[in-house]
Formats: sequence, structure tokens, C-alpha cells
Amino acid sequence: MRTDDIQLQVSSDPRLLGVVRGVIQVWLEVCGLVPDRRHEVVLAVDEACSNAIRHAYEGRTDESVELVLSASEEWIEITVSDQGTPCPSECSEYRPMVKPDERELVPGGLGVKLIHEVFDEVRFCPGTTDGNCVTMRLHRTAKHEVGSED
Amino acid sequence: MRIETTKTADETIITVEGDIDLYSSPELRTSVLKAVPKAKTGVGIHLGGVTYMDSSGVATLVEGLRSAKENGKNFALVAPSTSVMKVLELARLDSIFEVRPA
Repeated sequence: MRTDDIQLQVSSDPRLLGVVRGVIQVWLEVCGLVPDRRHEVVLAVDEACSNAIRHAYEGRTDESVELVLSASEEWIEITVSDQGTPCPSECSEYRPMVKPDERELVPGGLGVKLIHEVFDEVRFCPGTTDGNCVTMRLHRTAKHEVGSED
Repeated sequence: MRIETTKTADETIITVEGDIDLYSSPELRTSVLKAVPKAKTGVGIHLGGVTYMDSSGVATLVEGLRSAKENGKNFALVAPSTSVMKVLELARLDSIFEVRPA
């Protein structure tokens, strides 16, 4: 961890996802991200936490989800990890977001696609007996920063 | 999240306010899937007061649309908030739904 990193540990209870979103939102504001990008990043991190609860912990609410928030002048990085059942590698594979044919419309499977859509770099740790983790990095460019239009 | 279901002469309107996420979307799913087959001509989901929606909310709307097609009913999103539209655009699903103002 870097000295100004933030580490959060939260129960795998879906009721607490709103709290996590609030913390990320404020942290991104402190980092200086523009509101549009803040919303996207909050969404993608929420999806990673939801996946840990739904898939790794299969809905158990008394387990633990851990987040590390880290920022430099070049990037913003968030890692979400769990100690649940390792998810199959095909669940984390990059599949580009395409407009689906209406006949192929199926609910679900969107979370990982959204994570890839929002972040510039996404690394899933290989599934091991120790759970799962995903590290998501956003490259900071002028268009993401508050005040860049001045 | 708060949900209110009202009926007009021929349409059922489900008004949603607050955050739609993994915690709250099952309740919305239940309301939508219950309302669709019983609606006279169709269902409108009023999303003007939705402050946040995740992929489980998107999946719920997709399920509602599918159910409406199977039941020969209309399915529309009414006055969706910018937060809702942003997620649908990211998911490339914004053009799948009929969207109309309030």
C-alpha cells in the first residue's frame, strides 16, 4: 500500500453497497475527477463488489469484501478482493460491449462488461483457493479532471 | 428505493425512486414481472426519481421487456433520469427500450 491509499473492509451484505458507493464517490471528488467519470467509476466498482457477493460468496452476507483505493498523478486504481469461491476464468474475460440483437437479449452478465468499458486496464487475479481479486485502473487525462476546461 | 404502482385507464405505471442496486432490484423485479401480464395494454416504468442504477437494474428492465413481448404488452421507460440513461448507454441498451417523457 502507498501511504495515502485507503483500505476498506465491508461485510458482503448488499445493504452496505450504498455505503461503499458513497465512500468511492467522495474519494473520487477529492481526487478531482469530473462528475461523469465519477459516476462511471462508482458503477464499475459497485459491479465488482456485487459480483463478489453474488458469485464468490453466493449471497452469504457475513463474509468480507476488501477494497484498496489508490491514486497517483497518472492513474486512479481500485482493487476489490474476496475470499470466496474462485470464479471461472471465462467470467472475467474481456468481451466487447455490442448492441445485442433483440432475440438474444438475456438479463445478466453485464457487470464485468461494464467494468471493462469504464476502466483503461482491468486485471483479474487468477482464481485460486484464496478467492478472487480485480484491479481496475483509470489513466488520468485532462478530460477526466475538474477544472481542466479552464 | 421506493416503488409505487398505479393504474391509468389502460396502462400500469410503476414509479421508482432512489437507488436500484443488488439489494433493491429483486423487489423491483417482483413488481415488474407481476404487473406485466396483468396490465391492460402495457407497463410504463417511471424512472425520473432514480438516483442510481446498476447492472441488476438493467437486467430487471430487460426481463420486463422480454416478459412484455411474450405477453403481447407494451413496455416503456418513462422520463428516465440521466443516471439511468448513462448506464443504458454504457451497456448499449438505450435504443432497445421505448423511452418517453412523463
